Amino acid sequence: MRYMLLLIGDENQWENLTEEEVGEVMQAYEDYSRQLTEAEAFVSGEGLQPSSTSTQLRLVDGERVLTDGPFAETKEQLGGFYVLNCKDLDEALDWAEKCPAAAAGGTIEIRPVMDYEEAGYDDPRDSAEASR
Amino acid sequence: MRFLLTIYDDERRWASMGEEDAKAEIDAYWAIDNQARERGALVESGGLHPADSARTVRMRDGEQSVTDGPFAETKEQLGGFYLLDCESVDEALEWAAKMPAARTGSVEVRQLMDYEAAGFPNPAEEAARPA
Repeated sequence: MRYMLLLIGDENQWENLTEEEVGEVMQAYEDYSRQLTEAEAFVSGEGLQPSSTSTQLRLVDGERVLTDGPFAETKEQLGGFYVLNCKDLDEALDWAEKCPAAAAGGTIEIRPVMDYEEAGYDDPRDSAEASR
Repeated sequence: MRFLLTIYDDERRWASMGEEDAKAEIDAYWAIDNQARERGALVESGGLHPADSARTVRMRDGEQSVTDGPFAETKEQLGGFYLLDCESVDEALEWAAKMPAARTGSVEVRQLMDYEAAGFPNPAEEAARPA
């Protein structure tokens, strides 16, 4: 079962960190990602540029409408994510607890990823893989 | 340049949709997956279970607290994501405009950090690189 972990924290915190402290945080993420890889739980994980770099797109009568900034203005911002392969929600929660963002006072949102095949919608990606 | 496209839409719309309409919309997403894969742009994609299935974890003073539901209650909910490798933000916006949710909800486009360029390379990747 795949779970998405959304890493949410106050992005202004980064501005107040010294270069050495930033290095320590980066090291903590590297250690965490390595643990995930060793446990064969890691699917992907990325950090995002500040929320001010976001663009929102909507189509209104087929025309693009662009808005700068994130979809939701919140006190804490989405700063990165992991997609993990876990046997159940408890394992995903255990990984969330170990994430450096949790120790730094941030919030981790955990949500299961859809299995469309199980839901009765054939995944053409699987047949493409199989024909290879 | 890699971009995360997050898809926001009113998830109640899915509950009120007929099976045929749901299949047509999911097929439209599969078509985007296939196009993006052919162009070498697709890194990963996924739809998410409904927002009420989310759990939110916080650590305070070494204690874990888990609450039900998403981090933020919004009128439209995060329903899925695409991770794409694009030439430019314009290409990322073109992919965003193809998403069915662009017509009914909104798609947020945000560039990923390049930690290596910022001076924080991943030592495991460096070690794996041939000398």
